[in-house]
Amino acid sequence: MKRVLFTFVGFLIATIYVQAFAQEQEFETVMTPAFSPITWERLVNAKDEPQNWLMYSGSLDAQRHSSLTQVNIDNVDELELKWAYQIPEIDRAETVPLVVDGIMFITEAPSNVVAVDARTGRQYWRYNHELPEDLRICCGRNNRGVAILGETLFMSTLDAHLVAIDARTGNLLWDVEVAKHDSGYSKTAAPLIVKDLVVTGIAGGEFGIRGFIDAYHADTGELAWRTYTIPEPGEFGDDTWSGDSWKTGGSATWITGAYDPDLNLIYWGTGNPGPDWNGDVRLGDNLYSDSALALNGDTGEIDWYFQFTPHDVHDWDAIQVPILADLNIDGQDRRVMMWANRNAFFYSIDAADGEFLKASPFATQTWAQGLDANGRPVRVPGMAPTYEGIMVSPPITGGTNWYSPGFSPDTGLFYVTAFDGEQVFFKRDEDYEEGERYTGGGGRYDRPMDAFKSWIRAVDPTTTETVWEFPIMPRSSAGITTTSGELLFSGTADGYFFALNANTGEELWNISLGRRVHAAPITYEVDGEQYVTIASGNVVYTFGLDD
Amino acid sequence: MGLILEEGADMLNQAHLLWKRLMYVSALPFILTSLPSLAEDAGALYNTPYDVSLGERYFERQCSRCHGFDAKGNDETGAPDLTGRLNRASNEVGIFNVIRNGVPGTAMLPVDADLPDTQVWQLVAYIESLRYDPNSVQLDGSADSGLALFQGKGECASCHMVRGNGGRLGPDLSRVGESTRPEDLMVAITNPHENVDPRWWTLEITGPDGITRSGFRMGEDSFSVRIMDTDSNLWSYQKNDIRSIERIERSTMPSYDGSMSENELDDLVAYLFSLRREEN
Repeated sequence: MKRVLFTFVGFLIATIYVQAFAQEQEFETVMTPAFSPITWERLVNAKDEPQNWLMYSGSLDAQRHSSLTQVNIDNVDELELKWAYQIPEIDRAETVPLVVDGIMFITEAPSNVVAVDARTGRQYWRYNHELPEDLRICCGRNNRGVAILGETLFMSTLDAHLVAIDARTGNLLWDVEVAKHDSGYSKTAAPLIVKDLVVTGIAGGEFGIRGFIDAYHADTGELAWRTYTIPEPGEFGDDTWSGDSWKTGGSATWITGAYDPDLNLIYWGTGNPGPDWNGDVRLGDNLYSDSALALNGDTGEIDWYFQFTPHDVHDWDAIQVPILADLNIDGQDRRVMMWANRNAFFYSIDAADGEFLKASPFATQTWAQGLDANGRPVRVPGMAPTYEGIMVSPPITGGTNWYSPGFSPDTGLFYVTAFDGEQVFFKRDEDYEEGERYTGGGGRYDRPMDAFKSWIRAVDPTTTETVWEFPIMPRSSAGITTTSGELLFSGTADGYFFALNANTGEELWNISLGRRVHAAPITYEVDGEQYVTIASGNVVYTFGLDD
Repeated sequence: MGLILEEGADMLNQAHLLWKRLMYVSALPFILTSLPSLAEDAGALYNTPYDVSLGERYFERQCSRCHGFDAKGNDETGAPDLTGRLNRASNEVGIFNVIRNGVPGTAMLPVDADLPDTQVWQLVAYIESLRYDPNSVQLDGSADSGLALFQGKGECASCHMVRGNGGRLGPDLSRVGESTRPEDLMVAITNPHENVDPRWWTLEITGPDGITRSGFRMGEDSFSVRIMDTDSNLWSYQKNDIRSIERIERSTMPSYDGSMSENELDDLVAYLFSLRREEN
């Protein structure tokens, strides 16, 4: 009897313990995650909190590198699916989510954002942006991500608005019209926070817009400054546009830039001059199209510029993410801006003053004999588009494009998704009409796409030479992220997510996700577990190691 | 020179539009009495070669960014090929509606609401011109004689299947007449190495077992590849396991140039061109 009683008491104690434990577990899971406000200091020091992914490119220098090491070259082949989030609106997902203290913010086509538990992918809230019916967009209904400051998210929308959303509830705080959508403007890129300003670009380079970069006060949405990417008459560079062509010269700014706190400079790329393929109506270099701009972080004034492709007639936007790093080049320590351009050249440029240091092609190109001492291309004659068509490398989509490159401070290598291809370029005569496409031609592939190849290429930025390369199927539009686990993560056009050894390019792990990867990976940690996330098709997948 | 032509074209265009509008107005009473056929009747007004050329200009400007300058689609934007069978429209009214209304929930947005129907119809006429009515084509050869050649002298059936009969070593030709023009069929027979679909490239793969197998490229992606050998065996490899891989981008088909007379080639083309989905 005693024994039975003892057992019963033991059972009771065990039951109470289990219940208490369960309650504690339950409490943990229902608690509103108390992420502390994201101050400017936290953004400057984003690399010190690798458990989070606080901005589009991971850090202000845009290296897309994480110091997390739990997943590394020894165990990456043990990665397994933790959860999948299906985006309800069927389109392609170019989203790069942010992760803040266990909460993930995912943007969706056309201009929505959802907050989910980063451990489970289950939803806290959703914000659906109301869009007008008469959108003008060139290349699909995309959104690439949000920015965060304090407890507020900032998002670009397809109708060329900038919205501020409460990060805890999804409530709309403010909504400003950046430009008129029915004139051909739209917005797709994640904004960049610089101190208390929301810095953001504009899309519409195929609609004869005049590009600009804006900064808005984060708390009110009030415009702090606007810097046009095309000078008006009387300003420096206005003589690089014939006639009134500057008014419709494009030079859009549709990807996220970088920022250097010490130099107080914002680095931002500009798109093609318009019309894209007919340069006859806009004679001259067409400043500041296809350029890197360094803007004063407080005033937006242009401190220096570097034009990669003067008088572009091939649609080779300089819409790439600039990456900053301290490098020793030819015996001199410098802050360097690295740039793999759509025109197929990789550039190392002094970030302080824009001095051209070095460049080499990283993808097949037939348009330039080389670059001169100032980095200006020396063109191969007769490569401009014609009415009949002319074959040129790289094709319109370029040696690379908007998808994020990466840089690992551990390896000192710059990683880029490259494409070796060629295309027949055509020229057409068109008149500008507001809100209508204004491109002046186009391109056509003459061989099946499978005859071409994409690559992950690792470039040594101190020499600009390619160190290793890894082949993937053509026209990948996936970005690249590296980690201190010596890993490089990227995706493919044929629906793989994979990991390479960042030192050597050796293949370590891949999984077929079934649909094209249009996004860049991120990595983060919650409760001591490292996760890796990538969007493929309409699904956001998150992987981790076995518990 | 180009400019003068452009201006001339514009004037011509305006005169043409005026004429069209008059036509449209005069057709109104008729249209009003038979509303359901409004769209079709309107479409029939705008399909002259001149309309097609204006439609092409509009297409190059407004549509080619996603659908490609040659309208063959774009894997990156996901925009479909418009030169073959369309998924969302089976006639010109359907095409008109897709252009006018867009495809909800996709990147295919409606055209500007201010765009006149005239221009939408010209665009429809251009897209229709990318296809054509096979029944309107008159060929020299005899399809019946071609069938005999296909199964006999040409030995085509040893490699090609037609409606479930034949070999597996070439494309199924059951509906080849829907997507291929007679002149392209002739090229395929006399010069098979031109424009070989990557599906019919030959891969020679030495696998981890050291055995080299040769077969058609059924599927290839960034990390794996699948082939069918000449005995119809299917093989799947992980690329990082493969010792070597060689691509032969030529066709395995012999050229019939010289081995058949011109009349026989015409007959064969006539037979192949007759291979279309059977009418219900």
